Amino acid sequence: MSDDDTIDPADRGKLIAAEYVLGVLGAEERREVERRLAQEPALASEVAFWEERLGVLADAVAPVTPPQHTWSQIEAAIPAAAAARPTSLWQSLAFWRGFGIAAAALAAASIAALAYVGLVPATRAPLMATLAGTSGQPNFVAAVTATGDNLIVVPATLLTSDPRAIELWLILPNQRPRSLGLIPPGQPIRLSIPPDLAGRLTPDAALAVSLEPPGGSPTGQPTGPVIASGKLTGL
Amino acid sequence: MDADATRSQLAAALVRVAGGDRAALRIVYQDTCAKLFGVCLRILKDRSEAEDVLQDVYVTVWRKAATFDPGRASPITWMVAIARNRAIDRLRSRTAGGRLEPIEAADAVSDPAPAAVERVELAQQHQRLARCLEELDARHASAIRAAFLDGATYEELAARMNVPLGTMKSWIRRGLLKLRACLER
Repeated sequence: MSDDDTIDPADRGKLIAAEYVLGVLGAEERREVERRLAQEPALASEVAFWEERLGVLADAVAPVTPPQHTWSQIEAAIPAAAAARPTSLWQSLAFWRGFGIAAAALAAASIAALAYVGLVPATRAPLMATLAGTSGQPNFVAAVTATGDNLIVVPATLLTSDPRAIELWLILPNQRPRSLGLIPPGQPIRLSIPPDLAGRLTPDAALAVSLEPPGGSPTGQPTGPVIASGKLTGL
Repeated sequence: MDADATRSQLAAALVRVAGGDRAALRIVYQDTCAKLFGVCLRILKDRSEAEDVLQDVYVTVWRKAATFDPGRASPITWMVAIARNRAIDRLRSRTAGGRLEPIEAADAVSDPAPAAVERVELAQQHQRLARCLEELDARHASAIRAAFLDGATYEELAARMNVPLGTMKSWIRRGLLKLRACLER
């Protein structure tokens, strides 16, 4: 094609992602890209690159308030929440009621963590931990992804604006704590578990959270106060 | 509230949506519906179609919230991508019969994008993209902006800017390659 002949073939492969995000492809080409996205992580990450970078162009579009009835139509179109969830999850959440006022926030965080790791089609029993402080107040909920190599941590309570870094530790029986990384205050995070530890997240293990100097523990071991800890449990 | 707080609040609401929390979806809707409706309307130029697509967008957000990764994507960008994809798919299905969008109609509602971009508060991401777009040939940059905002095909853009199809493809592809190199720097 005359319009293509001076473009490097390697670049052509990358361009399809940009063209998809930009929106210049026809319907069939768009379906083709979407089919490939599921199987080609490199293409998916190229699409993500362009969505993130070009997305800010949308700020040039003036906001327009949609009509009032739009929300009720959306609400009518989504299934009732509880019906879609497995009952065992609700049963296992029941014991959290004892925590009193924090229970609602904790339950919300737990469900969020579970849904986030993709509980429903999980191929192995999900593992979770509720990390509580000395007062028994739950501070974090952690859930291991179905693949066993990622950990989702969701804060269940608001943390004070302590300038110290929040570091998560894996505690294995008879071993020194291993750092799993830093947790941003007040928002959920996905942490990848180092390959040598991926198989060690079992109901024998526990998680702990400590306050450390900015940037994390300088020694590789917890140096500050442990503000929360809890054992991993299967559901 | 500053942009970071808004962003993390929206991300937290999306995580709750992933857990089946309808109230959280309502929060997400209230915070983003005007922006996403604007995006759909800009592409479809038809209120009733844009309303249909907007509903579809939030039902998609409800279903796909679990795939949103707050560590990787900004929540609003993630949602804008869903809205644009839905609106563009609708646009393509409309023109599948061979009928092209009337160019005059499209021009009538397209606003001068560069001025609008300058008006918004330029966050770091904006500044970077704006700077990289400035490095491009002005016609290439303008074709890229128009393509993004209107979801127009190469054919429509070529007709609108009155250049052969091959020229339009070459402008945009070269522009995108140069843009990518600049954004990576």
